Amino acid sequence: MLQLDKVRKVFPAAPEPYVALDGVDLEVADGEILCLLGPSGCGKSTLLNVLAGFERPSAGSVSCRGAPVRGAGRDRVMFFQDAGSALFPWLNVEENVRFGLRVRKVPKAQWAGIIDNYLRMVDLDRHRNKFPAQLSGGMRQRLQIARALAVEPAVLLMDEPFAALDALTRRRMHAVLLEIWQRTGKTIVFVTHDIAEAITLGDRIGIMSAGPCSIISKIIDLDLPRPRDLADPAVARLFNDIERLLAPDIARAEERAAH
Amino acid sequence: MRNFAAVPGRGVLLTAGSIAIAFLSWQVLSTFIFNPFLIPPPLEVIRTAIPMILSGEILADVSISMSRVLVGFAFGSLAAIVFGVLLGRLQLLHDLLDPIIELMRYLSPTAMIPIAVIWFGIGELSKYFLIFWGTFFIVLVNTIAGVWRAPIARQRAAECLGANQLQIFVLVVIPSAAPYIVTGMRVAMASSFMSIIPAEILAADSGIGYLLQKSSMLLQTNRIFVALLTICLLGFVFDRIFRFLVARTLARFMSFVAVT
Repeated sequence: MLQLDKVRKVFPAAPEPYVALDGVDLEVADGEILCLLGPSGCGKSTLLNVLAGFERPSAGSVSCRGAPVRGAGRDRVMFFQDAGSALFPWLNVEENVRFGLRVRKVPKAQWAGIIDNYLRMVDLDRHRNKFPAQLSGGMRQRLQIARALAVEPAVLLMDEPFAALDALTRRRMHAVLLEIWQRTGKTIVFVTHDIAEAITLGDRIGIMSAGPCSIISKIIDLDLPRPRDLADPAVARLFNDIERLLAPDIARAEERAAH
Repeated sequence: MRNFAAVPGRGVLLTAGSIAIAFLSWQVLSTFIFNPFLIPPPLEVIRTAIPMILSGEILADVSISMSRVLVGFAFGSLAAIVFGVLLGRLQLLHDLLDPIIELMRYLSPTAMIPIAVIWFGIGELSKYFLIFWGTFFIVLVNTIAGVWRAPIARQRAAECLGANQLQIFVLVVIPSAAPYIVTGMRVAMASSFMSIIPAEILAADSGIGYLLQKSSMLLQTNRIFVALLTICLLGFVFDRIFRFLVARTLARFMSFVAVT
């Protein structure tokens, strides 16, 4: 479904160009949740921007369902960490969802049904007349989910969407997301730097090495039934393995950030 | 006294108190300490004001000054918004024009009075031009900043949802810039009130500024103070009206959402 082939991304910078991605190969299957995990500055967001079509790869190719990605496509919707800036603050909950229907020229007669459906799915139908500023952080993220789902994309690209939420709200959002995923069968690429989050959500976890010149150094298959409990010995072992795997890269990332 | 903060109408009381104290000290100072001819006491000023109000003299000057401010302000804002959103979006155009704008915005309306009189005479047009001039650069700079600061995440979100470039611009970037534009307009409104006075002092035969100038020539300090009080009152009232209109029509565009 989503395919990256030897993707390189180089940003012009002084004194020398910055190589963010240095040959990333990745395949995401239909209907799976792939988590990209890595230290900060490892190019996770860059990779997601390339998948979304916001950034063109400097070399290599990106395709979605066999068609090369040449810009933001209607089949892939990006989901941002900072809901405050991603939502339209001058539109209320219902109007935020309606925006996509309007610009995609979905027939007006269908709007009410679609909006009701997705607002109910994220449990926001009682707040449909509120503005984003009147919502809690978790509600704003749920609104982003509803707004994205309403245009019926095949792929959700999520850039650390729950990183700014408090721990309890984040756990609730994981449950909401998994439930929606089970109901809709969307393909999800989920970027995070939180090992527990990656284990909770992912079918597979792609480990990214610290930048510059990041690659996906390892892909881990998670053959564990959901919901996954961190107290479960198998899950705990996996957590430790991943932590050990990431340790040198986290040290490198810290080293770089200190300069 | 401990619970004064909770007294209803506390704000109004304080404002009234502040004004009362100011008038009282003004009355005392100008009667007993300063020369009452140079600083006429408030009661004297009010005595002067009443016939000026009743005869319609003040009203005529106020309305001519205000119409100059409003016309110049409206056209200045409109031009600046149109120009500003284009400059904010078209990088090349911006880079070409920015150095000129950066230099020209230091030419205050007051600095432009002498040339405006030569270009447009002492009629209405020169005043419209001067207010336009002052408004334009303030609103322009704010509009450009607002367009630039439209969050990239919001534009990309709109793009993912299926908006084309024009829709992103009209439906996302411009509304995102609205708070900046309105703030610029409020500042420009205040600056218009300040610019109209020197313009009318130097180049007009009507308006509040002309009243000031004429009264000064005739050493009528009472009338000067009436004109000065009128300016204070008008500026205050106009800002309130502007805020009220913004709250009524643009409220939903004015809320910045805090970062989650």
